Amino acid sequence: MLNRLYEWLDGRLHLKSVEKTLLEEPIPGGASWIYVFGSATLFLFVLQAVTGMFLAIYYAPTPDHAYDSVEFIKNQVTFGWFVRGLHHWGASGMVVAVGLHMLQVFLYGAYKPPRELMWMVGVVLFLIVLGFAFTGYLLPWDQTAYWATQIGINMVGTVPLVGDFLAKIMRGGEMLGALTLSRFFAVHVLFLPALIVAGIVLHLFILRRVGPAGPWDDERASLGSETFYPRQVYMDAVVMLGVFAVIAAMAILVPLPLTDKANPSDTSFVPVPEWYFLFYYELLKYVHGPLEPLATWVLPMLIILGMLFWPFIDRRKSRHPASRPIGMALGVLFLLAVFSLLGVSVKNLYAVKRVDPAIAHGKAVFARFGCAGCHRVHGEGGAVGPDLSYAGDVRPERQWHVKHFRDPRSVSPASIMPKFPLSEQEINDLTSYMLSLKKAG
Amino acid sequence: MTSLPPPKDKDAPGFYTPIGSRRTFFQWVTRAAVGVIGLCLSIPLVGYVISPALKRREKPWVEVGGTDELPVGVPKQLDYVATVRDGYLESKILKAVWAVKQADGQVTVFSPACPHLGCGYRWEGGEQKFKCPCHGSVYDITGKVLAGPAPRRLDLLPSNVQDGRLLVIYKEFKSGIAKSVEL
Repeated sequence: MLNRLYEWLDGRLHLKSVEKTLLEEPIPGGASWIYVFGSATLFLFVLQAVTGMFLAIYYAPTPDHAYDSVEFIKNQVTFGWFVRGLHHWGASGMVVAVGLHMLQVFLYGAYKPPRELMWMVGVVLFLIVLGFAFTGYLLPWDQTAYWATQIGINMVGTVPLVGDFLAKIMRGGEMLGALTLSRFFAVHVLFLPALIVAGIVLHLFILRRVGPAGPWDDERASLGSETFYPRQVYMDAVVMLGVFAVIAAMAILVPLPLTDKANPSDTSFVPVPEWYFLFYYELLKYVHGPLEPLATWVLPMLIILGMLFWPFIDRRKSRHPASRPIGMALGVLFLLAVFSLLGVSVKNLYAVKRVDPAIAHGKAVFARFGCAGCHRVHGEGGAVGPDLSYAGDVRPERQWHVKHFRDPRSVSPASIMPKFPLSEQEINDLTSYMLSLKKAG
Repeated sequence: MTSLPPPKDKDAPGFYTPIGSRRTFFQWVTRAAVGVIGLCLSIPLVGYVISPALKRREKPWVEVGGTDELPVGVPKQLDYVATVRDGYLESKILKAVWAVKQADGQVTVFSPACPHLGCGYRWEGGEQKFKCPCHGSVYDITGKVLAGPAPRRLDLLPSNVQDGRLLVIYKEFKSGIAKSVEL
C-alpha cells in the first residue's frame, strides 16, 4: 500500500529522480565505516532538536520558574527524566561526533580544493554547536548553570575595547538575570536552530555539488565507486543505532542531578563546566596576570581562525597524510594538548580525600564498648568524662591515645576511666577515630 | 575489506546472506535500525506529552471549617484556601463548599458547582431551596432537583468530622450528564 502511495506521489512530484539523486551518489573507492561520523553528527542533531522541542513543552524560561519546571520534568512528567537525559548526554555525544567527523575529514585532507567551502561551513557549524552547549547550560538555572555562565560571560568581558560591551549584550544588562535567561533561551531554541539548519543544508548542498572526497590514495579511489545506497546508508544506520543505544543507556544508568536553585548571593559556589570545556578551564588556571587575555581570547581566536582558513594555509595538492607532515603534526599536537589538559582537569576534580577505613572501625569500637556512657561527642553521650568532640585537636599525638587506651592512668593519673580489654588493632582503630574528631573536617 | 563492488554474478560465492542478497541485507538492517530507534523514541515521547492528561492528582483531605459554625438544618457556604498544584507552579486559591449539618451531627457537603453547566448556586433561605442563577435550576436541601435543566442532583463531596473540624475532599464533576462522574 505504501508503494502505491509512493507511485501516486511520484506521478505528480517526480520523486523517483530525487530519490535517484539522493541515494545513487557515487562514493569514490566505495562505502566505508570511516565515513559514518558526518551522519552520526546529523543524527545527534536531530535527536537534540526532537528532545529539545519536547522539553520546551514543560520548560519555563524565567528565573522564577526555570528550576521548578526542570524539576517537574525530572520528577513528575512521564519519561521526563529520560527525555532530559537524552538531551544532556546527546549534547556530549554531539561534541564527540563533531570532533571525530572533523578529525576524519582533516586526516583525509578532504578540505582541499574543491572542498574548501565545505570545510569552512563545517567550522562554522562546529562553533554553532559550542554556542548551543553554552546557551543550553544556563537554562536549568541551578547553581552550576548560573555560576558557569557568569564565568563564561566574564571571560568575554576581558576582550580589550569591546569586551565590556559584548558582555553586557550577552547578559542583557549589568547583571546576570531574567534578561540573560530569556535571551539565552531565544538563542538556544530559535536563533541557533535556524542558523544550524541553514548551515547543515549548505554543508550538504556543497557535498552534493563537489562529491565525497573518498580515499586519499588515488589508487584505492580508482578501484571503483559505490552508490551511497544501500551500503553506506546501512553503515550509517548501524552507527546511528549504536550511538542512540549509548546515549539511551547513559540517560537510564547515569544519574543527572540538579544542583541547588541558582543563588546569586552565594559566591562560594565553584562551578565546573561540561567536560568538553574542561581543557580550556584547566588552561586558564595556569595563566595569570597580564598574560591572561592571551589564554582567554587571543589563543582561542588564533586557533579558530587557523581552523577556518586551514584549506588556504595547507596548500599542498596531495591529500595523503604522509605528504602533509606539518598539518599532521599540528593536529596531533592540538589533540595532545586538549586531551592532556582534560586529563589533568578530571584528575584534579576527582581528587577526593581518601577516607581511612580505620576511622569507621574505631567508631564501631567506640559504640561496642559504650564509651558514650561517659563521653559526649557532638552533643551525644554522657558528661562523666571529657567531651571528645574535638579530641583530635586537644590531643593530636597518636602515641598519647595508644598509651591512654592501654592504661588510662599511665597518662592521666586522676582518671577514673576503667582499663578496657582492647586488642592492639582496636586500640589503633579507636585512636584513628579520636584523631579524626577535629574542628576542620 | 571496504571498497570491492558487489559481484555482478548473482551465483557468485559470497553474494548471499541469511536474509537474501547483500543488497536486501543492507535494506533490512537499515529499516530495522530506523524502526528500533523510532520505537524507542516515540513511546517515551508520546507518554511524555500525554502525561498530564493521564496523571490523577491524589486529592487530599482539607479542613474547611468548624462544625460549631454550622447551624442545624441550614446550609452554609464555607470558604477556605486550597493549595493547588498547577504543573510546576504551586498556588493558593479560594474555594468554597456548601455544608448542611444534620440533626444527628452528621454533615452533608455539596460541590459548589451546579451539575448543569458548573455555575455557583445559592441558598435561598426564604424559599428553603438552592437556586442557580445561570439557567434556573432549583434543588431542595437534600440536593434533589426540583426544577430547571439540571440533569442530576447536587454532587456530594466526601466529608469527615474530626475534633469538631470538618474535613472535605474537593472534587470536580462532569457537567451536563445524568451520572455523577468525577473528573
